[in-house]
Amino acid sequence: MSTLAVTRPGRTRARFTLSRRWRRPVVAGLLIAVSLVLAPEQLAHGTGHLVAAGLMLAAAVVAGLPIARDAIAALRVKTVGIDLLVATAAIGASLLGNFWEAAAVTFLFALGHGLEDATLSQTRSALADLVSTAPETAVVVDADGTQRTVPAHEVAPGATVLVKAGARVPVDGVVLTGVGAVDEASITGESIPAEKTDGDAVYAGTVATAGLLQVEARGVGADTTLARIIHRVEAAQEARARTQRFMDRFSRWYTPAIMVLAFATGLITRDVPLALTLLVIGCPGALVISIPVAIVAGIGRGAKDGVLIKGGEFLERSAKVDAVAVDKTGTLTSGTPELTDVVAFEPGAEDEVLRWAARLEAASDHPLAAPVVAAGRDRGLLDGPLATDVDVVLGRGLTGEVDGRVVAVGNVALLRERGVDPAATDRVETVAAELAEAGRTPVAVVVDGIPLGVLAIADTLRSEAAGMIRALHGIGVREVVMLTGDQPGVAQAVARQVGVDDVRAGLLPQDKLEAIEALQAEGRVVAMVGDGVNDAPALATADIGVAMGAAGSGVAIETADIALMGDRLERLPQALDLARRTVRVMRQNIAISLVTVVALLAGVFAGGVTMAVGMLVHEASVLLVIVNAMRLLRRPGQPRSTTSNSSRSAPVATGAGRPPCSAA
Amino acid sequence: MTPTTRTLLRAEGFSCPSCVRKIEKALDALPGVTGAQVHFETQRIEVDHDPQTTTAQDLVEAVAKVGYTARPSAF
Repeated sequence: MSTLAVTRPGRTRARFTLSRRWRRPVVAGLLIAVSLVLAPEQLAHGTGHLVAAGLMLAAAVVAGLPIARDAIAALRVKTVGIDLLVATAAIGASLLGNFWEAAAVTFLFALGHGLEDATLSQTRSALADLVSTAPETAVVVDADGTQRTVPAHEVAPGATVLVKAGARVPVDGVVLTGVGAVDEASITGESIPAEKTDGDAVYAGTVATAGLLQVEARGVGADTTLARIIHRVEAAQEARARTQRFMDRFSRWYTPAIMVLAFATGLITRDVPLALTLLVIGCPGALVISIPVAIVAGIGRGAKDGVLIKGGEFLERSAKVDAVAVDKTGTLTSGTPELTDVVAFEPGAEDEVLRWAARLEAASDHPLAAPVVAAGRDRGLLDGPLATDVDVVLGRGLTGEVDGRVVAVGNVALLRERGVDPAATDRVETVAAELAEAGRTPVAVVVDGIPLGVLAIADTLRSEAAGMIRALHGIGVREVVMLTGDQPGVAQAVARQVGVDDVRAGLLPQDKLEAIEALQAEGRVVAMVGDGVNDAPALATADIGVAMGAAGSGVAIETADIALMGDRLERLPQALDLARRTVRVMRQNIAISLVTVVALLAGVFAGGVTMAVGMLVHEASVLLVIVNAMRLLRRPGQPRSTTSNSSRSAPVATGAGRPPCSAA
Repeated sequence: MTPTTRTLLRAEGFSCPSCVRKIEKALDALPGVTGAQVHFETQRIEVDHDPQTTTAQDLVEAVAKVGYTARPSAF
């Protein structure tokens, strides 16, 4: 707000210059203050003190001149705005000799504008910050090694770009060579820099904090994730929520109605000051910005955390969500199954058991095969020719020939079908049941009709999963449902570990859609979290579709109702909580505005509300509404619990979408 | 006839939603402007115009005349 200027060599003279926004209000305010000191009776009635009166008039002119200028500019384009109303009121008051009223009204209006400007800039800061991270230049490396600096949006796709430490990444692309750390906060909302190396994706607008990267440009200019996010945030902030459209229509006739009322009142009561006061409160002011300011603040706050909400309607709907359906694999779990146990019936024969299983499973592309084969490879057990005569038995397992022996890998049902000795099968069943209890998928290994042992495969539960579910409950979500293709026994074990309210297990992709519909039939407003590819129909059916890890997917950013840019589970309860708080602020703002309008109208007609008071209350209500919305900009509080009870990740069973194998 | 372009202006100082209507009217009054849309929430002004008749600078000046500062923006 103030600057220091060096005026002559060897001598510094302090010159305080006020930024334009505050110049007039401050000058006018000083004039008014001095005038009141000289002749305080002006507050009640006129004064004979000419200097004081002159100062007061001067104050009115200083504050009122730009108002009058804007009023005329608006008239030139045939618009009647608040400027005209205030200018008319001020001029009218002056003509009546009411200099104090004229000065107070224009001063308060100018001051109010300055404050509104400052606070609204704050609420709009999220988008402004995003726009300011847009890269301006890029260093392109030609085939012969020369470096050229070009405008960022002119880089050709496929060109190689150099990103040095401290520089902004100019394009979306893939790292060709180099190692570096990149602060991706503007895209994902994560403040910890991400390590980047060959093959990793980088995004335009992020900042390289260390290292050197050579990047192949894939997306440039408007085709970058940053541009898509900006476009999405803008569209969301501009989208008209239903209540807002009502407000717009209301405000369109409010101002003319007040003008007619003022004119009529002036004619009927012959009380000109009364009519002028009505003009002053003739701007719907707080009412029209009640909702937009809340939406701008809410959407902006979300965007800063990498949470993109599609708009006002989606905010309102998200606030009503009381049931969340979560797809297990990839959301609650890490999505990569691992071999967790090898149980051998013959002590010390673990490697034997694994060897037969791995040799056979090497011929399968079932998701449960991969971890077995990987474990086998790690222990050097895969030598030898491929299995032959491989037969997949749907829902049961796999059979084939390895080194001349008949090998079967699968569940208890497979063993019974193949006539394995009942006593031995019972033993397998007991072991399998124990493993399933622990949340792991058991797989029996049988060679030449004799069960040698049981393997267990599990998909690691994400450590934040239980905490996220607790947080969801904490913010008021009544039902959290886990959807999975897993077998029910295993799914139940996971459900217990993670704290969901209900489990729908053994689901095929189309069953998930029905699960959502069933929840909706119960009267729930359902949000579904999925990976968008397999779950598209269910996501579309849900009231709110949430996509996680959306940073890499342009489609998810554009279409998901809520897109979580990063991969952190806690963002989901935060997003729903933000929606609830935003809707609460919208309602509070509307209440404040309506109460103010009614109170002012009543006060003006009942007497006691002068022009100055009317303007003061009006400006105060506008500021109150803006400041109320600014509360949404605070950092979200920590959800009730962000870590699960166990410090290590607990392995759970995997299902990976295949038809369920029935457990023992 | 030269095709119309869409110019995006980013403005400052939008504090009253009903007041920004006059920006649209001011821009519509310019020759060569086929459409103007002002967004209060994001302070964006989108103008479809014939760049030969009315340049981006003309648009900026028209907006300044009704009391707001605006700058052309790439996206």
